[in-house]
Amino acid sequence: MSHSHKLVIKSSVSRPPTPTPTPDANKDHQDQKPSLQEINTKFIESGEKERLKELLRERLIECGWRDEMKALCRAFTRKKGRNNVTVDDLVHVITPKGRASVPDSVKAELLHKIRTFLASNAA
Amino acid sequence: MSAPNEDNTQLSSHFFGDLLDSIIVDVASECHRIAKVGLDRNLEEEEEELRLSAQARASVADPSNSGEANNKYVVDIFGQTHPPVANEIFKCMNCGRSIAAGRFAPHLEKCMGKGRKARLKVTRSSTAAQNQYSRGSPVSTYSSYTNSTSTSRLSNGTPGFAGEEYSNGTYEGEP
Repeated sequence: MSHSHKLVIKSSVSRPPTPTPTPDANKDHQDQKPSLQEINTKFIESGEKERLKELLRERLIECGWRDEMKALCRAFTRKKGRNNVTVDDLVHVITPKGRASVPDSVKAELLHKIRTFLASNAA
Repeated sequence: MSAPNEDNTQLSSHFFGDLLDSIIVDVASECHRIAKVGLDRNLEEEEEELRLSAQARASVADPSNSGEANNKYVVDIFGQTHPPVANEIFKCMNCGRSIAAGRFAPHLEKCMGKGRKARLKVTRSSTAAQNQYSRGSPVSTYSSYTNSTSTSRLSNGTPGFAGEEYSNGTYEGEP
């Protein structure tokens, strides 16, 4: 999606107008920095997000992370009682430990792939 | 190009966090479902059941009961006890000995196997025998089993209920 360098105000989207580009070395006529939203859109629409999500899911299953999380959920459910548990509860139970216990290799692999994607699609 | 690189790192971490959160929600939602549906039975219940089964096992393995497995007399779900070897005694048509019902099959194996390789007809006769045994009458319906002859066939057509009639006539049972 290429913007013109002029200010374009769209009535449907409320966001600050695209800043005028600084005279830096630019490869394309595109904006120097695609917005986060654009990148995100591209991420999703190209299917890359889904692919990477599946890859991450697979890696986390392999290394036992998922089982750990399920065990945490079970322990929590046991304490709180089966009928009092909400999905929200479980998310809050898992999130801190979950984010911290992703193996470094898995994280590195995914970050590398994301960076590759960003490099070919953004700045 | 340091700025874009930094941005890139931050951005990729952002996306990674996004993916991870999404997966966390998936796991949480699945565990929630399992908890609610009761598929992964609560540890409480499991502990309770373990305790009960251990209790039952302890009471069953009473020192007053001897036996090979756990008990000599196993109590089934209707409260009936069955001796490990069936009690009723029958007379083997082949050799004329009194054999316990529970030992009948192995006995027949040896009894008939020695004479000839006449194990072909055993299946038919054993179903017939079972019919008789279920009625309680100790009449065996084997007809014309002789050790010497090569033909060891049942009486033609009689499934065994008409226990008295044998077309060949040579039988060694009590009428």
